Amino acid sequence: MRGRAVFTTLLIIHGLMAVALLGSMTHQTAAALWPATSKASFISSFRGVAGARYTVANIILYVVTGLLGAVVYVAYRLAVRPYLESAQLWTINGSFELKEQFAAIGLGMLPLYWWVWRTPLDPKLASARGAVTALLCFIVWYSFLVGHVLNNVRGLFGR
Amino acid sequence: MSYTRVFPLFAAAFAVVYVLSVEGNWALVTYHPRINEWEWLTRPAKSGPPMYWYGWLATSFLAASAISLVALPLTRRWQPPVWIGWAVPLAVMLVFVYLLRSFFLR
Repeated sequence: MRGRAVFTTLLIIHGLMAVALLGSMTHQTAAALWPATSKASFISSFRGVAGARYTVANIILYVVTGLLGAVVYVAYRLAVRPYLESAQLWTINGSFELKEQFAAIGLGMLPLYWWVWRTPLDPKLASARGAVTALLCFIVWYSFLVGHVLNNVRGLFGR
Repeated sequence: MSYTRVFPLFAAAFAVVYVLSVEGNWALVTYHPRINEWEWLTRPAKSGPPMYWYGWLATSFLAASAISLVALPLTRRWQPPVWIGWAVPLAVMLVFVYLLRSFFLR
């Protein structure tokens, strides 16, 4: 029972870290792809952040969220996936399979992500900056939504 | 910093080696969660399902680091194009969608 409480606590922290990463990464992606010069409205304020200031925080959040996910993954493999298979929830099962592969690919992109956001920002890297950030943002959004849906379907130790 | 020139190559190599590791099941380590036991390389199930994901990550990290290290002297004369650092991972993500399509087509 104690092990279950630990895994559940870690899953909640994993989810909270993912929320922080989601917001931070979305701000930075908006700043990279759709920069705003004024902050006259809510939308332009959302886009008008200094993107480079988010980089290190995003890397730390991505790594820590991934590490927590890697720990919780053990409980998923033992308690959740067998249920998904026996219930024939193939789409949900496949969505998580994709999540683990996408998250791994994102991990390998982090050094490049740090490099393209180095200050002073290199104007020649603007398009790469946008592409790398948008791809990581997609991975973070996809992972978050799949994890959320999966938790709604089963949780870690649901009956 | 000169070593940063290989980062696009590292991202591309990591993604390619990762998909090859998953498809070929080249895991550096295998974890048996039911009995809390780690083993080197790819091992079959002992008690309960084995987990290879950690091993695939380790294989990809080591291989991409080795490729980047070997390529580092070459980058003094040839800068790897930055786009390979996002285009190759994007392509590998699409390959995974294709490889896992059976989950969504049942």
